[in-house]
Amino acid sequence: MFTEITAGAFVLVLALLGLLVPLILIVARAAGARKLAIALILAAVSAGCVVAVGGLLGQTAPVLDFSRAAPFSFSLAVDPLSAFFLLLVSAVAIPVTLFGGSYFELHQPEPRRRWTWIFYSWFLLSMIVVVTAATGFAFLVGWELMTLVSAALILVEGDSEERRHNVFIYLLMMHAGAAAVAAAFFLFLPFSHSLDLSALRAAGAALPGGIRAAIFLSAFVGFGTKAGLIPLHLWLPRAHPLAPSPVSALMSGIMLKTAVYGFVRFAFDFLAGGPSWFGYVVLLAGAVSGLLGVLYAIAEHDLKRLLAYHSVENIGIIYLGLGTSLLFLSNHAPLWASLALIAALLHTFNHALFKSLLFLGAGAISAAAHTIDLEELGGLLRRMPITGTTFLIACCSIVGLPLFNGFISEWLTFRSFLAGSVLTNTRAQIVLPLMVGVLALIGGLAAACFVKAFGVAFLGRSRSAEAEHAVEAPVPMRIGMTMLAAACVLIGILPGILLHPLVSLGQALIPGSGVPEETLIIARVIPWTAAIILGVVVIAVLPKRTHRMVPTWGCGFSQLTSRMQYTSTAFSKPIRFVFTRVYRPDRKVERLPTDQPYFPVSISYRSVRTTSFEKSLYRPFVEGVVWLAQGLRRAQTGNIQMYLLYIFLALVSLLAFLRFQP
Amino acid sequence: MNLALDLAQALLIVLCAPLVRGIIARWKAILQRRRGASIWRPYAELFKLFRKEDLVPPTSSAIFRVAPAVLFGATVCAAAFIPVLQPSALLASRGDFFLLVYLLALARFFLSLGALDGGSAFGGMGASREALVSSLAEAPLLLGLAAVAILAHRAELAGMAAWTLEQNVFDVSAVHILALTSLAMVTLAETGRMPVDNPTTHLELTMIHEGMVLEYSGPSLALVEWSAAIKLHLMLALLVALFFPWGMTSHISGWGLAGALLFYALKVVALMALVSVIESAVAKLRMYLVPDFLGVASAVSALAVIFTVLVKR
Repeated sequence: MFTEITAGAFVLVLALLGLLVPLILIVARAAGARKLAIALILAAVSAGCVVAVGGLLGQTAPVLDFSRAAPFSFSLAVDPLSAFFLLLVSAVAIPVTLFGGSYFELHQPEPRRRWTWIFYSWFLLSMIVVVTAATGFAFLVGWELMTLVSAALILVEGDSEERRHNVFIYLLMMHAGAAAVAAAFFLFLPFSHSLDLSALRAAGAALPGGIRAAIFLSAFVGFGTKAGLIPLHLWLPRAHPLAPSPVSALMSGIMLKTAVYGFVRFAFDFLAGGPSWFGYVVLLAGAVSGLLGVLYAIAEHDLKRLLAYHSVENIGIIYLGLGTSLLFLSNHAPLWASLALIAALLHTFNHALFKSLLFLGAGAISAAAHTIDLEELGGLLRRMPITGTTFLIACCSIVGLPLFNGFISEWLTFRSFLAGSVLTNTRAQIVLPLMVGVLALIGGLAAACFVKAFGVAFLGRSRSAEAEHAVEAPVPMRIGMTMLAAACVLIGILPGILLHPLVSLGQALIPGSGVPEETLIIARVIPWTAAIILGVVVIAVLPKRTHRMVPTWGCGFSQLTSRMQYTSTAFSKPIRFVFTRVYRPDRKVERLPTDQPYFPVSISYRSVRTTSFEKSLYRPFVEGVVWLAQGLRRAQTGNIQMYLLYIFLALVSLLAFLRFQP
Repeated sequence: MNLALDLAQALLIVLCAPLVRGIIARWKAILQRRRGASIWRPYAELFKLFRKEDLVPPTSSAIFRVAPAVLFGATVCAAAFIPVLQPSALLASRGDFFLLVYLLALARFFLSLGALDGGSAFGGMGASREALVSSLAEAPLLLGLAAVAILAHRAELAGMAAWTLEQNVFDVSAVHILALTSLAMVTLAETGRMPVDNPTTHLELTMIHEGMVLEYSGPSLALVEWSAAIKLHLMLALLVALFFPWGMTSHISGWGLAGALLFYALKVVALMALVSVIESAVAKLRMYLVPDFLGVASAVSALAVIFTVLVKR
């Protein structure tokens, strides 16, 4: 009975998002039609939540088979792993859609707004298809649709040379990644009779070592490109700031997670781990992405770019957990492997919540103050109390402070590192506990970064007239942000609600694992900690304290101005100074006139962070491709006899291959 | 009975914290051939500040007044993690050192936000410097604690203290020496003592913690100062509990507790003497030498973690 309901709900989700919503938007142009479309999107993602919860509760998976309507085997199914990610997609989409309903009304003129909603609906559909695909082709179709529709969403927002250039880089990297993902699927083919996920899982156990490694590396690179692992992150800080805020929230909050889904599907479900170097590769990628991501973020003062780099950092933390889990698997410690996997999946969910909240907050700021440059903001908390409070909750969550959800997953990750010391393999025994230091450094730097982001944007004096006259966001936007903030606090104080289904998911993915004790410990100790802190805070605040408004002492000046405050750039200067080697800034100071160095009339100073990856990694690669293409041009003579010769040679070599095939 | 004792331990750390500050200040004065103020003066100061009114900048937001309360709440909660008289504490049977360190991070996060809310240059200056010091101090702190936890096979502070208690006094390993070295260095950095920060300065070129709290007054300042004192006491008590727990009672009895209290006082007094000697003998480091100081601490704690592989049975 329940299975039929979930199957029906699932069909409803696909029909609404794929067909009905776009149809309504194309046919009817009235504002009422748009409202109806938004309501239908909300209904669809709510139904998605129902399907996901059904799947997590262990209902038999509803399978939708569209193979007859498609030229290849195309079906969708919801197993526990899919259900978890479906919950992530649908649950985060609800508040983002609520927010978007009012955001797009205010910020996009009519013809664009209609297309935005159509693509928005398809974007959600594509992500749902990706996480529920039961065949390789369904997965690849969803994957490709996701890339194209998100690029369309960025292009609908506006048009400029720079935007087109950045979207081009985005599409280029996504397609390179998609090629690697497709390769990972097709490498299974000699050993599997079809590309159905169940067939791949069955084939995974009996793969020869070389193919196994090739599949793992293709999946790692392919999904790593989408996830934004350094050095494959190049598109991320370019694409996110260009999209409208609700779309950035979806891209950073959910779309990156589909890459985590894909990687978990391959590495854990199909391959069920592998040699220990799998784990070390993932661990290294996670550590590098985490550290460099947060360091690049600190140097930014454009709020959306800062948040984009923090996505890189958090993906790094997720991959640290995944790598640890793989390492435990190769050392035959299924219980610890499941702990690390639970930590990574929980962080995936948490990051979806707080990162979409942060991007929505950035949207609310840009709507109110018409800029997201931190140097132009300041003092917003008094003018936008709800936006500010929810943004603060998201900041505390992403930094991993106790009582907020980010802490739970980081704590589990820390404990799984510490558990590495019980392994018998000496290398793992040393490397895993040392990762405690890496994650601690990431956490410390992230705290510094969000003190800066929140402090400069929301506290102190306003740094511009626009920030001075900012007004609070409209009600639907506030509701969207409040929902996400409430979820962050709820998971942060009562982590059991998510840990419980995650433990059974861990048991399903890693055979032989039980219930890691740590998941029970944290669920018990956090409520007590919260009670003590809140109790003491109440006692400290309760006595009715008199306070008087007194201007801050201006050191003898009559009054402080906003220009006397610390700026975002000044705040991050000590850290940037210490990590100069990472940033390699390119500084130019010009004094005019040049013949009077001690009495300049004007001084201009410019400092650009050289993105060393572009220079040292991508540039040689691009030059190599161009060189190769120019070399190949010699073969393209334009002479028809030559082409006939090529065809003839190809035919002969194929025949020869068939004849001498072993 | 056990619960009451655990509560008493937490209160001991919270209530005796100003005394620790007072004694260190007094001894520093004596070492510098001054008479110095009474060791009870921090209490008198807190009492005075609590009765005054709060002065709030008109441009500040609610954060300015909430931050000291959160700082105090998180620090007091952290105090409930430290075993003092017996190898157990209010939250230490389940709460581990990661939670403890992150509670201190919560406290610092809000203090830095409060500093930025003042709207003056000094708050930002202090917060920015604190961000540098604390972000680099977190790694050696957690690594040093992790090294001890690996040896003890448990991450809960009560368990770690109980494990050390069972070891022979002379059975100290290289891991303990390395971990203690790095944690002692981090303690100086985390609590804002010399050579990282000067708790008595108000010179804008050097101040870190004082710069952050410059705009606070009245009860808010009292909470901030008290929290700083609790943090100092808590870190000293943590060093005592992890490295010198001998003297704690495992089973509760009147004499046992009295002895444990005496031993604890002696150990903390010794550490306080050490702190005051260091503060009088060492010059404050230049701001950009602090990362080197913490880098050494990080390297030492990483070595401690690596050596656990050799020491472990």
